[in-house]
Amino acid sequence: MLSDRPLFEDLYRAYLGRIYAYVRAQVSSSADAEDITAQVFMNAYQAYARFEARNTTPAAWLFRIARNATLDHFRAHGRRERLRRTIEHQPMAEEDPSGMAEERIQYRALLERVGRLPERQRDAISLRHSGLSFEEVGTLLKCSEDAAKMLYHRAVKGLRDAVEKEGV
Amino acid sequence: MSESEDQELQALQRQLDDAFETTRPRPGFEDELWTRMQARRPASTRLRDAWMGLIQGIREAPAVPMGAVAVLLVVVLGVSVVTLSGIHIGGGGGGTSLSAGSAQYGPEAGRAGPPGAFGRLPSPVLNPGLPDKAADGALPAVTAPSSAYSGPVTLTWTGKLDLTVTSAPVFRYSEPSTNTADQFGASLGAILVSRPAGYLGSYETTDFSIRVRGSVQSPAREPSFIILPIRALAPIDAAGGSAEVAVVFLAQHSIAPTWQYTSEATTSGDQTKVLLLREFSIAGYGYAYLVDGSGERYGLEVDLKGNTPTLATGQLPLSLDTASYPLISADEAVRSALASSPPVAASPAVPSVALTSAELVYSLVVAGDHSFYAPAILFSGSFTVGGKTYVKRVLVPAVDPSQRSS
Repeated sequence: MLSDRPLFEDLYRAYLGRIYAYVRAQVSSSADAEDITAQVFMNAYQAYARFEARNTTPAAWLFRIARNATLDHFRAHGRRERLRRTIEHQPMAEEDPSGMAEERIQYRALLERVGRLPERQRDAISLRHSGLSFEEVGTLLKCSEDAAKMLYHRAVKGLRDAVEKEGV
Repeated sequence: MSESEDQELQALQRQLDDAFETTRPRPGFEDELWTRMQARRPASTRLRDAWMGLIQGIREAPAVPMGAVAVLLVVVLGVSVVTLSGIHIGGGGGGTSLSAGSAQYGPEAGRAGPPGAFGRLPSPVLNPGLPDKAADGALPAVTAPSSAYSGPVTLTWTGKLDLTVTSAPVFRYSEPSTNTADQFGASLGAILVSRPAGYLGSYETTDFSIRVRGSVQSPAREPSFIILPIRALAPIDAAGGSAEVAVVFLAQHSIAPTWQYTSEATTSGDQTKVLLLREFSIAGYGYAYLVDGSGERYGLEVDLKGNTPTLATGQLPLSLDTASYPLISADEAVRSALASSPPVAASPAVPSVALTSAELVYSLVVAGDHSFYAPAILFSGSFTVGGKTYVKRVLVPAVDPSQRSS
C-alpha cells in the first residue's frame, strides 16, 4: 500500500522555520530555541514511521511535538524563570549582539510580550500565527474549535493591553 | 467592540503574523541540524526513506508501464537493502556507523556524459614501492608503519567474487586553479596569506589556518585541504559519538561531505581520529570504497581532543563529471589478480598466499588536467612469514581493457 506521507526531508525543510518561531516565542534565548527545535525534529524523525497522515496533518503533528518539547524544557530548566517573568514582567535576558542581529529586532519585543502571556494564551497565539487552524489549535490545547477562538481573541486583547500599558 | 478597537486588534494580528513569519533560526542551522539527523539515523530509517523516494518518483511518472514499475521496484529495492544495510559483496564493512547526506553528489554533481565519454582511461595501480601491510594493525591511519615484505609470492584464489554489474561509473574532475582554492578559503571565511611551494594557497581566519593543494602524482592524491587551529577551537556540542562531533564541526564550516561515507573512530587517551571513508555508488551493486595506493580506504579525517577539533583534512570539494564504462567479468578479474605475481619455482622460501576476498573499489588515477576515480577490484589475503602475518593486496583495474590506455 502506498503511503500518503511526504518525505521527512520535505517536512523538515517546510516546517523548520515555523517550528523555530513557535519555540522562540516561548523561550528566552535563541540558543534554547535552537536546542528545542533540534530536539523536536530528532523526536519527529524517530517517530515518523508511526505518523498517520489520515489522523492529523503534518503541521499539527509537528507542533504537538514542539509543544511537548517546550513544556519539557520548562519542566527541566525554566519553570522558575517562566514564573518570575510572568509574575514580575521582567525583561528577558539579553543575548549577544550577533544573535540579535539575526533576528528582526522590531518583532522580537512583540514576541517577548507573547512569551509573558499565560501559558494557554501564549500557545493559542503562537500556534495560530504559526499557521494552524483554530480546529488544530483546539485539538492541541484539548478544547473545542470555538473555545480555541475565544482563547485566542482573549489572548490578543490581553497582548494589546500589555503593549498599550507598557509599550513593546 | 468599537470599530477603532477592531482595527487596532487587526493591526496587532498583522504584526504578529510578520513577527512569526520573520523569526527564523540563524543561517546554517537548517543544514547543520539536518546533517546531525542524518548522522544519527538508523539503517531502517534510511531504507524507509529510499522506499518513499522511490514511490514518489514512480508517482511522478504515471506513464511508466506497470510491469516495468514492478521490475524496477524489485531491482531497486533489492539494491537499497544491500546498500543501506552496509553489506558489501566480498568486502568488509568495518565501520562503526553509516551516514550520508540525502544527495550523494549533491553540491559536487557535475555533468553526466554518455558511456565511455572520457575516452580510454589510465589504469589505477597500487603503489609498487609500498610494502605489503601487516595484518595486526586495525586501522591504517593510526598504526605504526608495517613491516615490509617485498619478496615473491605464489598467489591462489579461494574466495568468491560475484560481480553483479557489467558497467560502472567513472568520475572525473578538473584540476583546480588557485582561483578555486581561493573560493574554498573564502567560503570558510579565510583570507589568502601566501602561496607556498606545492600549495595552491595558504589561508587564515582568526581561529585556524588552511592550506589547499592540487593533485599529487605519486602516491596519487586528489586536491585536498588541511585545517589547523591557530588557537584552541571551542568544543563541539553534539550528542552522539566522535563521528558526530566531527561531522558537526565540518557542517559548521559547510564542508561536511555530501558523498556517502562510513565513519570510523579510533581513540587513544583523549585523542580521537575520526575517518569518514568515502564511498561511490554503483547502480546494481551498492557502494564501493575509495582506496589509496596501498589499498586503504580513505576520505576526510578530523582529529579531536575531547570534543575539540585539532585538525581536519580531506578532499577539496570538486565537481565530478561521470560516464559509464564496461567492466571485466569476475573470471577475468581473478585471472588478472593471479597473473600479477609472476610464476616462480616452488620453494619453501616463496610463501603461498591465498587471496580470500575481493571487492569493487574506486581508486584515484591522477592524469594531468583531468584525473579520474576509476573502478577496480581489490583482492586480499593474509600470509605468514617468520611468524609474522601480512596482508597481500592486489588491485585489478575493473574497466574493460578495450577502454584502457594502460
